[in-house]
Parts: sequence; C-alpha cells; structure tokens
Amino acid sequence: MIGTLVVKDIKLFVRNRFFLIVTALGLVLYPIIYFLIPDQVDESLGMAFYIEDRESALYQRLTDEPGDYVLFDTEAEMLTALQETGDYFVGLSLPADLSAAAARGEAVELNAYYAPGVPAEARQIFHDVLVLFANAVNPETLANLTRFNETEFVLGNDLMGAPLSLRDRFVPLFLVFIVMIEIFGLATLLNRDVENGTARALITGPLRLHQFFAGKALMGLLLAFGQLLFLSAVMGVLGVSTLLLLTTLLLGSFLMVGTGFFVAALAKDNTSAMAWAIVFIIPMVIPSMTVLLPGLSTGWMEIIPSYYFVDSLHRILNFGAGWADVSRNLAMLLIGGAATLAIGTTAIRRKF
Amino acid sequence: MAQPAIEVKDLSYSYGDILAVDAISFDVAEGEVIGFLGPNGAGKSTVVKMLTGQLTPQKGSASLMGMDIVKERKQVQQEIGISFESTNLYEQMSAVENLDLFAKLYKVSDFDAMGLLEKVGLGGREKEHVASYSKGMKQRLMMARALVSDPRMLFLDEPTDGLDPVSTETIHALIRNATKEGTTVFLTTHDMVEADKLSDRVAFLNQGRIVALDTPARLKQRFGMRALKVEVELPDGGAEEREITLDEDQTPQAVFDLFKNERILTVHSEEATLEDIFFDITGRGLQG
Repeated sequence: MIGTLVVKDIKLFVRNRFFLIVTALGLVLYPIIYFLIPDQVDESLGMAFYIEDRESALYQRLTDEPGDYVLFDTEAEMLTALQETGDYFVGLSLPADLSAAAARGEAVELNAYYAPGVPAEARQIFHDVLVLFANAVNPETLANLTRFNETEFVLGNDLMGAPLSLRDRFVPLFLVFIVMIEIFGLATLLNRDVENGTARALITGPLRLHQFFAGKALMGLLLAFGQLLFLSAVMGVLGVSTLLLLTTLLLGSFLMVGTGFFVAALAKDNTSAMAWAIVFIIPMVIPSMTVLLPGLSTGWMEIIPSYYFVDSLHRILNFGAGWADVSRNLAMLLIGGAATLAIGTTAIRRKF
Repeated sequence: MAQPAIEVKDLSYSYGDILAVDAISFDVAEGEVIGFLGPNGAGKSTVVKMLTGQLTPQKGSASLMGMDIVKERKQVQQEIGISFESTNLYEQMSAVENLDLFAKLYKVSDFDAMGLLEKVGLGGREKEHVASYSKGMKQRLMMARALVSDPRMLFLDEPTDGLDPVSTETIHALIRNATKEGTTVFLTTHDMVEADKLSDRVAFLNQGRIVALDTPARLKQRFGMRALKVEVELPDGGAEEREITLDEDQTPQAVFDLFKNERILTVHSEEATLEDIFFDITGRGLQG
C-alpha cells in the first residue's frame, strides 16, 4: 500500500512543472558550476599584528613599510578582526617586555592566533615569521630566543590540516542546496493532499493515517536521498568514507522530510506552503555559508538543525572526519528530523 | 429477522458548544436507499462522517453490516464506497490513474477501469488529466471511484449538487443500478425531487434531530395536503386560479359549487412535495 502511494506521489511530483524544473536545474547546474570552479588553492595569507612596544624597531619598520599585514592598536581589536572579517589567517602578538625578558635570558611567551582552516605548512611558516620578528625586536638577544614558549589559540572550529580549494568548499554547499528544495516539494504535495481532501478519500478507504504519513515520508526520503546520491556521484565524492557519507546523506534527507512535514502543518493552502517553506529554507541554508566563509561560524548557528548536516559533510569530505568525529552531529540530525516529523504529523492529524 | 445494514442508536456529535447531531436513532435494511434530507447545517454531513469513520461519535453507537463503526472502523471502511460532497480527485492524474490507484489500495484483482468509466459516461476521456474535466464529469468520476471496490454500501453526500440534468441523470442511473445489485445506499441531499425519486425512505433532519422518517409516499399521505387547482374565467374575460384542498369534509361540496357556478378553463391536481412537508414539520425550508 505504501509503495502504491510513493509511486503516485513521485508521479505527481514529476508532473508538477515547477518542481521538475527546479530539481532538474539543480541536478544539472550544480555539477556544471562545480566543474567550473577552480580546484587549485589560491589563498593570500593576510597577517594581523599587535606589537605592544610601539618604540620597538619592528613596530617602526612595519609602520613605515606597508605590506600584506595590518597593525592593530590592541590585542582585542586584532582578535575581533580575525574572528569577524575572515581577511586574516593569522594574528601575531608581541608583548612589551619581550626585549627585556629575552635579555634576561627568560622564556618568552608569544601568541599566535590562527583562523580556522589554516593549513599545517602555513602554520609552520607563521611560526618561523614569529621567531624572526622576535629577533627583529631585539637582535642582540638572538641566542636567548631559542627558549621561548609559543601559545597558540585556535579560533572557531579546528578544521586544519589541508588546504581547501573553492571546489571542495562548494561540495557541501551544493548538497545542502539541492536537498533544501525538496522541502518545497514535500510540503506542497502533503498540503495539497490534505487541503484538497484526497487524503481524506484515501484514509476513509483501506488506508490508515499512519500509512498515509509513512508513504509521504518515504517519498520525501527517496526523492531527497536519490538526488543527494546522484549529485555526490557526479561530483565524485561518493568514494570518501562511503558508509559514513551515505549515513549522513540519509539523515540529512530525514531532516528535510521532518521539515517538510512541519511546513505542511503550518500551511493553509499551496501558496502558504511555498511561503512557509521559504521561511524555513533561508535560515537552514545559512550554516552552509560557513563552509565558504569560516569566520561566520559561531555558536548560535548550532540551533539551526541543518548546521549538523553541513558541518558533517564538510568534515567528512574535506577533512577526512570519521564516525567518532561526527557522531554528535549525526545524533543531532536524527533528533532534529524525528522532532520535526513528530510535531508535523501531530499538527497535520488535527486537520482531519 | 434480517440484521439491518445500518443500525444507529442515540448517535450524537458536538462541535464545541454546537450540537450538530442530537441522539439520532434509525435502522436501514440491506439494499435499501435512505435519503437524508435537511437544510445546510442540519447535521447530514456529520452523520455521514461518523458512519464512515471520519469522525468518532461522542455518544451513542452505530454498526454497519454488523460491524461497530468505532471498534471495527477499518473493516467497515473496506466494505463501503464514499462519494464526497466536495471534489477530491487527483487532478494531475487521469481518470484511469485515479481509479487504478484506489483499486490497488483496495487490492481489487482484475480491475477494469475502462469498463467502469464507460458505465459513468467517461469513456473516451479516460486518459485526460482530471483538471480538464467539467464539474459533472468530476462528480461522475467520484461516483466511479466509490464503486471501485464493489462496495456493499454506498455513502453519497450531495452527489448531484450543482450538476447539469444529463450528469444528474447518469448518477441517478448508477444509484439505481447499484441498488438492483443489493447495495445499500445512504444518500444525503437537500434536493427533495432527487430524494423522492431515489429513496425507499427519507429522513428529515433538522437541527441535528430526525423529525420524520418514512417512505416518501407515506410522508405525503401523513403530512401533505392534496389540492385541486382550477382556473376559472372571470366576467371581464380574464382568468383566476382557485385552490380546493382535497381530503377534507367540505371538499365534495366545494368542488360541486365551483363547477356549478363558474366557467372552468383548466383543472390540475397537486400533490404535496417533500419540501412542503419538511416546511410543515419544521417551519423552515430545505434551502437553509
């Protein structure tokens, strides 16, 4: 019975010109854009400095000779710029007593603040730059500077280890975009069945209400998961931790199904189903932007359920994360999908 | 004595403070056509919704073909066909696809969609999307859908409301055919002519209560007044209509006087309609 419903719904989905065109466009355009995006890393390494001792030779020199760096007046300002603008990959902070401490032969504490995504080899370069700059502050104490402590602060998510091309960054983005569109489709099909009374015709026959819901959920899951699989295969990422990736895609599809039910429950007619879908899709797409602009990643984003989908895909596909790394994300996806599905079905049930 | 096809005892339902159905009781025999007549808001659709499992009765009980409508709801729904008041078809699917879908859900083997569509007069248009159908065609398709599982009982909620005479006649013929094959029909309508033509018995529903339940003929006999309508010629050459109520003590004398003293132009006998009777009983019309 549920199979019959799924076939019927897929037929109706395909016959809806809007959904057919939007889906086909996504499946064709995203791969085209993907292959047009450069797969080479081309990142300029912007640096931020805070030098407490403004009388030092280094401060004077950096002020006199502008380069791909900016000097900040306070350490706090530098940290804010690092977190919010995304323009800098590293912030170096040199304390005022560096020179005197070095002269006394004491260990010197230097701070390097790295933005998320800075590759290991780049970090080594910054480490060396820091040493050179410390020497520039007090060249006479070069011998003592071999005994300093480097304190490193990581801003945002610690997702370092490999340089990412723009193409790699776009993969999670495309996967999220394509699956979000299915919220439209599922919510509209579900709402149309309820509001037009066809669902009533079905459930006053041999079908039970839970079978009706199961049919709709399965249809949504198949459509979303099928498209994710197709897109992943075309972009050639299916070979990356295949089982983990498939599980993530399935749970992401499940979240989409739950959201589709939730939207359908709020909608009064087809137009409002579309409007409500937009209301939900826009915030759910926001976490995917953090893949492109890591500086956007902040704690509040974790209240958006799609964050866990994006973050998992990004970690698995771009940083080789394993089950243990994304298990919390997967659990959150499962909980988010189940919660929205439960609320949605309960609310829709009241419409009968 | 054979078990009634429909057995209803003190069935009630309220929407908040509004009592829609107020402790109604009635029986319907197998193969009988019962017409539920009443204005909009009388409670007809609520009764249908309870009997077909769309609403759970708040008080009372009912059974269809011996099965409790609450405890054995799904079994009941397997045995009934419903034609809803408002159109609820898959408009982006063809008539054949609509019927095939329900045939699969009902697990009807060797289902002949084309044969059924021919029966309802939709042969030749079976592959078009339902969205392109007229209201009458959609209503006939809904009737066909109700017949997909060859049900023992049909619930028809305003099946000809707003239809042209041809579509109405097609649906009437389908109902008559179904009853010939022993199908019990529960018909709700506010069209008294339709109810009179099709129903073995009619129930008048007013403000959630059954105020009369009998065959149309007996209701007319019991509540209706027959009349004689006579057109007489006036001295100035004009005409005037006179009405003499039949079945009263003074009727013979009144007829005799009229024919003796007036020049008669036309004579018609008139029977009370179900609407007249409904009005006499409830003090309100069927149109609401």
